[in-house]
Amino acid sequence: MLNSVKKLFKSNYLFTFGVMICLAWIIAAILAPVIAPYDPIVQDLSLRLKPPSAQHWFGTDNFGRDIFSRVIYGGRYSLLAGCLTVVIAGFIGTFYGAIAGYVGGWVDNVMMRISEMILSFPSLILAMIINAVMGSNLFNTMFALVIVAWPTYARLMRSVVLSVKENEYVTASEALGASKVRILMKEIIPNSISSVLIMATTDIGNQILMFSTLSFLGLGSAPPTPEWGMMVSDGVDYFNKFWVAGFPGLAIFTMAVGANFIGDGLRDLLDPKLRKQF
Amino acid sequence: MKKKLLAMTLCLAMAFSCVACGGSKESGDAAATTGAAEATGETAADASGSNTVVVAMGGGFSTLDPGYVYEKYPPVVVTACYENLFKFYTNDGAPEPCLADTYEFSEDGLTLTVKLKDGVTFASGNKMTSADVAFSINHCKNLQGNPSFMTETIESIETPDESTVVFHLTQADSAILSKLTYSALAVLDSAVVKENGGTDAADAATADTAQAYLDTTSAGSGMYIMTSYIPDDEIILEKNPNYWGEGTNVDKYIIKIQPDANTQMMTLSMGDVDVALNMTDDTIAELESVENVEILNAATKTVGFVMMNMNETYGGPVSNPKVQQAIRKAIDYAGVQMICGQGTLTPYDIIQVGFMGSKGERKTDYTNVEEAKKLLAEAGYPNGFDIDLTVTDLDMEGILLTDLAQKLKDDLAQIGINANIVAQPWAAGYGDAYRDGTLGFTVMYWGIDYNDPNVQLEFLPGAVVGLRAGWTAEMNPELAAMYQETMNATDNDARIAILEKIQDAMYEDGPFVMIAQAPAHIGYNTRLDGVAISDPYALDLTLINVK
Repeated sequence: MLNSVKKLFKSNYLFTFGVMICLAWIIAAILAPVIAPYDPIVQDLSLRLKPPSAQHWFGTDNFGRDIFSRVIYGGRYSLLAGCLTVVIAGFIGTFYGAIAGYVGGWVDNVMMRISEMILSFPSLILAMIINAVMGSNLFNTMFALVIVAWPTYARLMRSVVLSVKENEYVTASEALGASKVRILMKEIIPNSISSVLIMATTDIGNQILMFSTLSFLGLGSAPPTPEWGMMVSDGVDYFNKFWVAGFPGLAIFTMAVGANFIGDGLRDLLDPKLRKQF
Repeated sequence: MKKKLLAMTLCLAMAFSCVACGGSKESGDAAATTGAAEATGETAADASGSNTVVVAMGGGFSTLDPGYVYEKYPPVVVTACYENLFKFYTNDGAPEPCLADTYEFSEDGLTLTVKLKDGVTFASGNKMTSADVAFSINHCKNLQGNPSFMTETIESIETPDESTVVFHLTQADSAILSKLTYSALAVLDSAVVKENGGTDAADAATADTAQAYLDTTSAGSGMYIMTSYIPDDEIILEKNPNYWGEGTNVDKYIIKIQPDANTQMMTLSMGDVDVALNMTDDTIAELESVENVEILNAATKTVGFVMMNMNETYGGPVSNPKVQQAIRKAIDYAGVQMICGQGTLTPYDIIQVGFMGSKGERKTDYTNVEEAKKLLAEAGYPNGFDIDLTVTDLDMEGILLTDLAQKLKDDLAQIGINANIVAQPWAAGYGDAYRDGTLGFTVMYWGIDYNDPNVQLEFLPGAVVGLRAGWTAEMNPELAAMYQETMNATDNDARIAILEKIQDAMYEDGPFVMIAQAPAHIGYNTRLDGVAISDPYALDLTLINVK
């Protein structure tokens, strides 16, 4: 495994690139108080809408706040939202799908129809509704994203489990008298999890975009939180001052691209059909 | 088969569009000149020597039938094509007689008698009489459209002779003259409107069919006649040859409905448009260097305010009068003005600058953080407190309320109050909570329904907005009583005296802090004279001349 990861780094430059970008963002987010030259929230109206300069690398916004500092701090929210959403949605989806697929019969039918109900809504609109009803803050936005995301994982998991459960080792466990729970936990899930992992890594980028979209629409965390999507939406009013919306937009772009590159690379590594290449 | 069908649909579509074009050309008297002006370019005086002015403005309306006019921009057209009994000739001060010659209130203020000007004719050549006035106002009232509430205090209209109109009111209403200036109450040519399906009967809401006609042309006594109206696209006004008064030297207006500020800015700087009504703080910066373009910045009467609930259940610490005073002292009004853009100003109090009776602006040195801290300590919060500041997803003339909230949060942090901004969409609870008076601490805005200081009386205890802040009449009976006093004061001087008393009483006390009157920005070509920002009409075309 370690060998193939090394190989992956060597052979897949995009993966390496993606890891570098994401690492940079993670470090920036963790060390934000050290890296950011200014407080991201404190206003100074005498410095309103100043273009990028030596003092303010990314310029300042309409409250005179340093955009560079805000972008650095903003990474925390986007990373948190992207990763946590995927982890929670993946966790719920994995178990839900595994139970549905393994138990089968009417349980499967009922469980999958429920998840399809959620899938049949346009995801962005559903997230917006949840957010609007519950009030918009960071937690609720993530909650909405999880609600929208988990059924996809459940479906994927179920389809994999359907084929895994036909394997001889599962029959052997059953013959040995293992309980259903034990078989699910020890045989089925470990043998089906890789496809969920692949999807999860690619999904981080999507979730970051989705989170930014919601914040852009005013449904993310409340101002003055330095959140990227919200910063872009603030900048839309300043058509001729590119830096207000431009730099946070660039941050969203690089983060999403980085996460997608990693996802693609991991798929090459983990997907059994592609693995032969290594 | 499919191809044939497609061809047929295309032919049909073309045929329809030809018919449509033909129709609109015929409706204008000067179809030929329309074409000529369009061909030679729209701005500068064209070869025939006639002056054409192009105006770009926002949309948001779908009819120009005066009886339904309620939105911001239709009055631009209505004041040019129609006239009212009274009019705001300048952007501040009291309404002045227009079609009215003289007027008189009865002693009890329940009757208003208006004598009409002599010799006023409509564009059709018909003479304007008291019957036309009665018809127009009843028409608006009985259509039961958005502006019908303007006639609420009018019980009945009597026309003893051709040149006298007597309004019987349900209660004394010192704002009645201002209401009569409103575009929805413009005087229509009743003969022409009736001919085209109009009625002022009680069942006008269903029986009136004149809207289709009034959307193609106008039927008023104004300086211009509307010759074409393409919704969300273009309106063309041409000079009324039968105008009874003295006209300006602009022969034709082309009004483009083009709300985007950047498009307006570019067309204005290239000379394709002469007046752009929707400039923003950002776009005017681009125009500063452009030759032949002048910018007007002025405060509108749309006002942003902080509301602190007087009911302790909802307001918590901000229901404390001392805390309210402290917050008033802590707000950096100059900073708020900077965020709202050029032309913003902070009114003295609940009566906006520009209204009759306004005490002007809040003193520039009012902000005092030290005093605010002291007041806060006196109130029992020497170390400040935490509070939720609820804010909704609306904007005040383009200024986001969340921006105002962020500024407020920063200012309050200076005196130790930690305001936690909670965003709540209007449709998802904010609207109901605001109207029910259950919001504790919020930033909101207020747009005026019509151009009269009486609209601001709703901020008094026991009135509509006052109650939203949990401010009941019992809490301040003396101030609450001034509502009716102002309504009764049909004499302007008496009314101004009461309005000033109200403002003094609320300057330092009460649950409302008026923080900013949002600005409007107009850009125009310097070849024009008389372009001015107008609150009631957005822009008064009858004042513009070509130099």
